[in-house]
Order: sequence, then C-alpha cells, then structure tokens
Amino acid sequence: MNFDLDDEQRDLAAAARDFLAGSASPAVARAALESDDPATAELAPGRDALVASGFATITVPEDAGGGGGSLLDLAVVAEQAGRVLAGPSLVTTARAAVLLAGDDERLARLVDGSLRVAVVDGAGPVLDAASADAFLALRGEDLVCGPGVVDVREPIDPTRGLGRVELGEVEVLATDARLRWEHAERVGRVVLAAEDLGAAGRAVEIGVAYARERQAFGRAIGSYQAVKHALVGAYVQVEQLRSLVWWAAWAADQAVDELPMAAAAAKAAAATTLTTAAETLIQVHGGIGFTWEHDAHLYWRRAKVDRFLLGDDVAAYDEVARLAIAQAEAAGPGGPSPEAGALAEAAVAAR
Amino acid sequence: MDFDDTPDEAAWRAEVRAFIEEHREELGRRGDERGFDDHVARARQALLYDGGLVGVTWPVEAGGRGGTPMQQAIVDQELARAEVPALINLIGIGMCGPTVIHHGTEDQKARYLQRLLRADDVWCQLFSEPASGSDLAALRTKAVRTEDGSWRISGQKVWTTLAHLADHGIVLTRTDPDVAKHRGLTMFVVDMKAPGVTVRPLRQMSGGADFNEVFFDDVVVPDTERLGDVGDGWRVALTTLMSERLSLGGGGTEIGIGSTAIVEHVARHVGALPADRQALVRQQLGRAYVDSLGTRYTGYRQLSAISRGDLPGPEASAGKLAGTKAARDLADLAVRVLGDDAAYAVSADGSSTWQDLQAVLPGMAIAGGTDEVLRNVIGERVLGLPPEPRADKGITFRESLAAAGA
Repeated sequence: MNFDLDDEQRDLAAAARDFLAGSASPAVARAALESDDPATAELAPGRDALVASGFATITVPEDAGGGGGSLLDLAVVAEQAGRVLAGPSLVTTARAAVLLAGDDERLARLVDGSLRVAVVDGAGPVLDAASADAFLALRGEDLVCGPGVVDVREPIDPTRGLGRVELGEVEVLATDARLRWEHAERVGRVVLAAEDLGAAGRAVEIGVAYARERQAFGRAIGSYQAVKHALVGAYVQVEQLRSLVWWAAWAADQAVDELPMAAAAAKAAAATTLTTAAETLIQVHGGIGFTWEHDAHLYWRRAKVDRFLLGDDVAAYDEVARLAIAQAEAAGPGGPSPEAGALAEAAVAAR
Repeated sequence: MDFDDTPDEAAWRAEVRAFIEEHREELGRRGDERGFDDHVARARQALLYDGGLVGVTWPVEAGGRGGTPMQQAIVDQELARAEVPALINLIGIGMCGPTVIHHGTEDQKARYLQRLLRADDVWCQLFSEPASGSDLAALRTKAVRTEDGSWRISGQKVWTTLAHLADHGIVLTRTDPDVAKHRGLTMFVVDMKAPGVTVRPLRQMSGGADFNEVFFDDVVVPDTERLGDVGDGWRVALTTLMSERLSLGGGGTEIGIGSTAIVEHVARHVGALPADRQALVRQQLGRAYVDSLGTRYTGYRQLSAISRGDLPGPEASAGKLAGTKAARDLADLAVRVLGDDAAYAVSADGSSTWQDLQAVLPGMAIAGGTDEVLRNVIGERVLGLPPEPRADKGITFRESLAAAGA
C-alpha cells in the first residue's frame, strides 16, 4: 500500500507553488471583481502565462508537445492553483486534452497557446469562456469545435470567466464521441475538486492563523472550543477531500472503472468542503471577515460558483448514490446479498 | 501511488489467509455467533496465537513475533474479511499489554504477557471514573501504602469493558493528593478476583451490557504489582493511551458496519418507495457514502504511513471523528428505509439489526475519546491552536477539589 504522493510529485507541487503564488493572489481576484468589464478583467497568471509555464498541459502526451504526466500530477498542480485563486482554471485544459486526444495538430496548438479553448456544457455557464475564442462541444454524439460569441455576465467569482456561449460554424472533430466526452467531464471534475482542495486548505490556514493571533476576553480566540472546533471541522473535511481527490486522479490513470464513482464523490465533497471552509473563514474573522478588503469573501465566491460547475453538488451526490446502489445490485445474481443483515448484526455484537 | 502489497506484505498475507483457511470452521463466523461465550472466544484467540497471528508487533521476548504494524494491519484485514469474530482480549493486547511491556518488571512480564496473548487471562483497563472521564487526571480512586509495603485501593471505576470477565486489570490510582493532579498518580496491576473487587454490569442504551462499574473496597495489592514508579502513573497511562491509538491505527477497517452492507440493505428497499421519496433517499445516501469513502481512503493514507514504518500521529483522530459521523449517517438511513418498522425496536419480520445498530452508534462518539476531546487534540496538536485555560493549573489536586466544592 502506497497511497501517497511520491518525491517527484512533491517537487512538482513545490515548483507549481513557486510559480502560482508568484503570479496569482486573492488581490488579483479582487481587482478583477472591481474591473469595469468582466469580459476583459485580468486574471493571474492568465491564460498565456499558465500555458507557457507548461503546468496547464501536463497531461498532454509528450509527442504532442505536452508534459506527458498523469492526472495525479495535474491534480497536485491544481491544488496549488486553488490556494491562490488562480485563473483560468486547469479544468479547461485538462478537459481539452482528453477531448483532443489523437489530434496532435490541435494538441500542439493547445500547448503553444494559439488554441484558446473552452468547453461548452449544454446551454449553461461556460468556464473560462471570457478568455477563449474556440469552443469544444458535444452535438448529438459528435465532438465539435468552432468559434462562438461569448456573453460574459456580472460574475460572483471573476476568476472563473463564466459566460454564455453561442457557437458559430463548427467542425466535427469526432463522431461517436459520447464516451470520450463523459470521460473528459470526469477528468474535469477531478481537477475542479483539486482546485477546491487547495482553496479550502488555504481558507483553513488563514482562519487558523487569525484564531491564534486575535484576542478576546483576554485570550486568543482559537483557544475557545467554539472557534477551535469549527476550524477542526473544516480541516477534517479538507483531509477527507484530499484522499478522494488523490483516489479519483489515480483512478483516471490506473483504474478507469473506479473513475465514475471517484470523480462524482470528489466533486460532491469538494463543493461541500469549500463551502464549509469559506464560511468558517468568514465566521472566525467576525466583522473583518465580512469586508470587501479581506480575502475571505474571495474564497467564499469561489465556493458559491464552483459548486455549480460540471454538474452541481446535489447531482453529484445523487450520482454517487445511483452508482452505489447499482454496485450493490450487481453484487450477486439474486440482487443484494442477505449477508448484509448478518454482517450488521455481527457489528452490533462486536460492540 | 498504488494500493498493492509489497512482495513481503503479499507473502505475509498469503500466510495469514492460509492459516485462516486451514482453521476456517474452528474460528467461527461473526454472523453465526448467538450470544457471547467467553470460553469459545478464549479458545479462538489461543488458536490464533499459536498460529502466530496475535501480538504480531510485540517483541519476541514478550511472546510476540517482533513484526511490523503493517503485518498486524494485514492480519486485522484478513480476519475482518473472513468474518472471524473480534478477539476477546483486544483491550489487553492493545492497551494493557504494551503498558506492562514498557513499564513492568521482568517478573511481571514473565507472569502476564504470554498468557494475555493466548487469552489464558483476560484483561481490562480501569481508568475512567464517575467524576473523571475526558479529564482523566482528575481521578479519585486512592491507593494508600501500608506498613508492610503493600497498597490498599479504594474507589470506583466506570465504563470498564469486560471487567465482568476479566482476570486482571491495570488500574490508575491517586497516591498523592498534595501535588498537581498529573503528578500524584500511580499504576498497578490488579487481580480482578481479589477480595474487595465488586463488578456490576451497566446496561447500555442499546440494551446490551458490555461494560461495568467496578468498586474497590480496601483491595490489597502487593508492591510487586506496581507498574512504573510511584507518582509516575500519568506517564505510564500515556503509554497505554498511545498504544490504543496505535492499535486503532487505521487498519483499513470501518467503524460500526461496512458501508457495503448498508448500501445493499438500502438498495433492497429503495425501489419500493415512491419516486420523489427515492430521490430524497439517494441524496441522503450519497452524502453519507461520500463521507464513508473519504474515511476509507484517508485510512489508506494512514496505512501507507504505517507501511513505510511511520507511526500514526494525532491526525489519526480525524479518522475516528469522520468515521463515526459517516457510520451514524448511514445507520440513520438504514433505519429510515424500513418504513413503518423504523418507529419500532423490532421489525414486523422479527429482525432488529438496523434499529440495534442505530442504538449502538451514539456510543462511538464517546468511547476512546469523545468527539469534543478529539477536536481539541486536532486543534491543539495538528493545527497549533492554543489550549483552553485550565482552572486547576498550578494547584494541588486537593486544592482543586476544595475549589470545586467537592
């Protein structure tokens, strides 16, 4: 059993942290929120720098010019991106890399930055639409690509670049593409969960640091159980989420039959965890946590938007339940085994 | 990253499986067990000990194998997989024995350890008292030295699992009330059949009676049964509690009942519900199941650390917190899908599995460290938050009693 990152992945995380923390920050996210035109608001590191860094295309095969890395490698980077609320999202390039697999010409353009792509899910808000000029979509069973008209509306979280996309004339890249589309969506869910893991982990850190400093009634507020336990609750959720993100990323690379459950579980847990962490961050800070100038609301904004991306959390929990029930029903030809009851009885007896 | 055994681990697992297979019928199955027969349970543990599967991590000179925590975890997993009932002496193996190993005399080790591993003797741990639960160091049971050098113990312990069957116990006592509460404690091994020891079973909210209150009325304990130095009992007790954490160290086993069994049960019932109700059940199942997956894979991270040779740290408390919550949520759903039967202790068909499980789980949030104590441990030792001020700091135990009006 070796369910842990290896030294190379730790080095990768450190390098990604240097790059991302050196360029992106909640302050940039705040500035984007204050920008007059959300369609042109500046993100950090921004699409060009992110692609030029090579981090965004880690999962593109080496012979197509990418990093040839695993989804777990990308997840490790995405956690660092989430910590500093970097934009655009690594979800977008990760999904594109799956959808364009085998199309080395387009993949090369993804890597060199000339293909500025976003992925369109139905008629809903499109992640990173604001910085894209080419769009991938599923039409019937066909994977299509083409230009589009983007309507960027007033954002809750400006780093997500959400907008409605009206596709122009598209080219069919592949027929019979539904399975590939679904796989790309699951890969996207894993990366989204990894970004949320980073954001939630950072929110807990900021909250803990403040609770150690801030005094009330003659002592640090972090010494009060009411405050301490709230932070611990968020921390425990973050560590559970980390396990799910690693499992899901590992499954995408090594055990693809486990990916649907793992990706849905990671997506659902990410939404819940980041919400808890961001709301705790605000609460622990009291009044200052509710101000525009404090970073807390920027993490909260990320939570309030990300929970709706790639299917909302309610749908993801439902998917987990459907998959779990289906697995149970498939467990035996006669349906669920009657041993379930015996096992439960044994557990009771063992107590 | 992988979930595979190393070659050494795989070889050990095969050995363990072969033993279990060879003794399949003798070992029995959890589901078969009607009631609890301690003679059968002792015989089972002796069989496993003779096969080398008990006390894997204990030193060879203590009767163990000198193996690794990973080897022990593999034994735990395989016994769980084969549905072999839990060892009767789990508390002895996980808590009392390691305390004797670290603090006992050679004579005590020779007399006690191997018999404990074979369940020739069953052990219990006498720490909690009516007035000291989470605040263990506030305990009041007294041990007073007599002229011949032996000790006389008086007081009351409570929540003592297996005391009604136990041959020996380790008992934490106060030997000096005129120093700070942590400093005046001393640990002893006590003969549970000695005159003056009275054990009264306590009925739990679930109806079962696994634990007890234990009264000590001038019980004589020779000085040769002292564990560690006089006044050093707190340090000795920390060994016990640390060992508990190690013995619970995320062996990849779930709290309460496996989530698979609950999902199978829910799957069997959900189809009979109206569609709108099904959606609500799936929402509850999805949330609880995600929590249980999170616990399972966090357990694998701990197991990986054990496999590398690291010891589980205070962050292991997070696993118990999250696992308890997941188990309670799943059990709640398991009862809910029973429909009208959910409001009764026994279903119309005579079964009460899920109602029983529901009544057992609140105890899991208390035993082995309450949720609140675990949150303090994580908050202070993992997150580095400051501790709560203590009103009994810098004063003697006697003064703290007076201050509390006791």
